[in-house]
Amino acid sequence: MADRTANVTWSGSLIEGGGRIESVGSGAFGPLEVTWAARAEESDGRTSPEELIAAAHAACFSMALSSGLAKAGAPADRLDTSATVTFVPGTGITKVALRVRGSVPGMDEAAFGDAAQAAKEGCPVSQALAAVPEITLDASLS
Amino acid sequence: MPRIVREVDIAWEGTLSRGAGVVRAASSGAFDLPVTIASRVAEPEGKTSPEELLAAAHATCFVTSLAGELAKAGTPPEHLDVHCLVTMDEVEGIGHRIVSSALSARGTAPGADAASFAQAAEAADAGCPFSALIKASATVTVEATLEGSA
Repeated sequence: MADRTANVTWSGSLIEGGGRIESVGSGAFGPLEVTWAARAEESDGRTSPEELIAAAHAACFSMALSSGLAKAGAPADRLDTSATVTFVPGTGITKVALRVRGSVPGMDEAAFGDAAQAAKEGCPVSQALAAVPEITLDASLS
Repeated sequence: MPRIVREVDIAWEGTLSRGAGVVRAASSGAFDLPVTIASRVAEPEGKTSPEELLAAAHATCFVTSLAGELAKAGTPPEHLDVHCLVTMDEVEGIGHRIVSSALSARGTAPGADAASFAQAAEAADAGCPFSALIKASATVTVEATLEGSA
């Protein structure tokens, strides 16, 4: 079992106030400033829940794919993944787009596509985000 | 309503057990963080993980919703402090799953009482887009305490 924690503070109203991701359990990041304007308009150098969700999904997917490729006997030299999360205020998180380019000796496109599809379906963050209306995958060898 | 898009890149090198990745916030540039599988499932050793990033996302999403709900009720907060604990567990026959996200909020909001603060926290959970998503597969709990109220 893995427990992971984060502490966030907020001062003032939603629009005029602001918040800070003070710390996370690992100590890997924080403090990071957050504001409503940076979330809903231009990021202006500030992260947001949607960017953090993209980070979680990209990392989880990459780990699952790395594991799947190794199990298939074709460990990856390198995987370059991006995750793009779309947020519509008032509606919610409407889409996650995953894109991966892999350098995998001894593997063909079709097998890589299958492994990427399995990683997209199986990784714990994909499962946690299964209620997102649209999760797309663009996978190919680099 | 406008579509807001946030993007992150990760470069992963090597196998799962021995390899490592670096997660970079492409949209904001706010972070650039190493991840490994060992630090995800065992001791973090100073490295973040998908579950920690989700805890940060959920706490941030919830705190913005709570600030919005309190303002809507005419009692904007002076200060809010939110803690989020995300748990990933091994579910028999399935593998690793994110099973719960526990939020606890403390704060001061002039004019609010314990009941209205709790009500705002409940509405914030209902209104936070990430809470709505993760509830389909995990348990979300919310504990809210108004500070300075007897």
